[in-house]
Amino acid sequence: MGWYHLSLLFLVITACIFQQFTPTFQSLCDAGILLVPLVFLCSSVTVGTGPMLLLAFTAGFFWDAQHVITPLPAALLGNPEVYEYTEGDVKFGYSIILYALMGFFMQGLQPLFREGKWHVSALLAGIAVFLYLSVEYLCVTFVRGDLIITHSLFLKISFTALLTMLLCPVVFWALYRLAALFHHTISYEGLARERGTTY
Amino acid sequence: MKPVNFIALVLFICGVIWVLTLSERSVRRIQQTYYATMTPFLKGGSSIKSQARNFLEEIEHSKDLENQLRAIEEEYIKLRSIEGRLRELETENAELRRALDFKAKSRLNVIAARVIKRQPATWWETAIIDKGQSDSIGAGVPVIAPGGLAGKVDIASEDTCSMILLTDERCQVSVQVAGTPEVGILHGTRGRYGEEPRLILRHLSREAAILPGMKVITTGKGGLFPSNLLIGTVKEYTPGPVEGVALVQPSVNFDELGVVFIIAQKNEPEG
Repeated sequence: MGWYHLSLLFLVITACIFQQFTPTFQSLCDAGILLVPLVFLCSSVTVGTGPMLLLAFTAGFFWDAQHVITPLPAALLGNPEVYEYTEGDVKFGYSIILYALMGFFMQGLQPLFREGKWHVSALLAGIAVFLYLSVEYLCVTFVRGDLIITHSLFLKISFTALLTMLLCPVVFWALYRLAALFHHTISYEGLARERGTTY
Repeated sequence: MKPVNFIALVLFICGVIWVLTLSERSVRRIQQTYYATMTPFLKGGSSIKSQARNFLEEIEHSKDLENQLRAIEEEYIKLRSIEGRLRELETENAELRRALDFKAKSRLNVIAARVIKRQPATWWETAIIDKGQSDSIGAGVPVIAPGGLAGKVDIASEDTCSMILLTDERCQVSVQVAGTPEVGILHGTRGRYGEEPRLILRHLSREAAILPGMKVITTGKGGLFPSNLLIGTVKEYTPGPVEGVALVQPSVNFDELGVVFIIAQKNEPEG
């Protein structure tokens, strides 16, 4: 763990804060930019497995703290004779697992990123966000029941993935700057030696 | 696998197990702390958003201002003549009310709050409002908006609250179709994004005499919501082999949810 890894943790927390300011686009089926997954996905491809898992834990924890609806205490659930069909919801912490899976997915093409082909990773981040949202929706569906798949659902997921993916270059640029600042080597060690890459 | 990565993976799995086995009380405490920490940013974000909206509106208005002024001048002359007639009607109405000894059946003690953030980017229909525990607001308290019931408070931190909107599946309400004995449980629907929200009313009679346009109101049963709060109007009723299901259009405009009212306390009916 170096300063670069700590700066990534800081970046994830900053993304949680900036997520509060990001708008959604009603004309695009309520699609929005998911900053926390974006920062995590871009960061995960620049670090090893250990730091990636730490980032996944942090990002997933904060994500669930904001979004997951925790069941109310029994006293506030109302008369059980009237509200007998109270449904459960996804468990707090499930996002940590999803983030880790996305991280492993991103690291699958890490060698290409380390060769400098960041655009492949950017495309992969878009696919990862699409998969993440799809799996998240399926998790919610699995717990709540009734498989509902609509056209607007597909559009919402697609537009969100696309909008998020479009910001990838900005995040990668920031990560390269941080790497340079903290003397962290992003490039593949073997290739770095061969080609004399300095990042 | 490298030993370091293996250790990291083991630690990660331990961490995940710890989080997944947290009690609901602990999770709620974590979420309260999270919202309390985020409050300044949420309020800041809301302030920036409203300033930007005001600025854009101002620009838009300045363009139309001249045209509007002319139209308003014409309207003003018409309205002056209407005003005279309305005053007569107002006096007549006041007299009739006195004559009927009109009284409100019940009054709700409400606290006004502003919606500072909606979270439509996710699957959960929630919103953050700018009042919290410092205003004696706790979890489970009903929230109303112009038009009717809007949802209920989920997590209450010191200065803000997270509320579950009526359009979320998790917000269930015991309701009645006004003018009929039909009662059921109403909740939101999934999969409608960027579209008009619809609510589902279940547990109705198999062949209930429910027609589109009928009003849906809260029953007050179950101890969660006060009675007679408007929910919406029936859009469609489908009889089924076991129970009937109705689609309800909410009376609250959830796209423009600006100010809401938290029901702090329900006074006993008068008289």
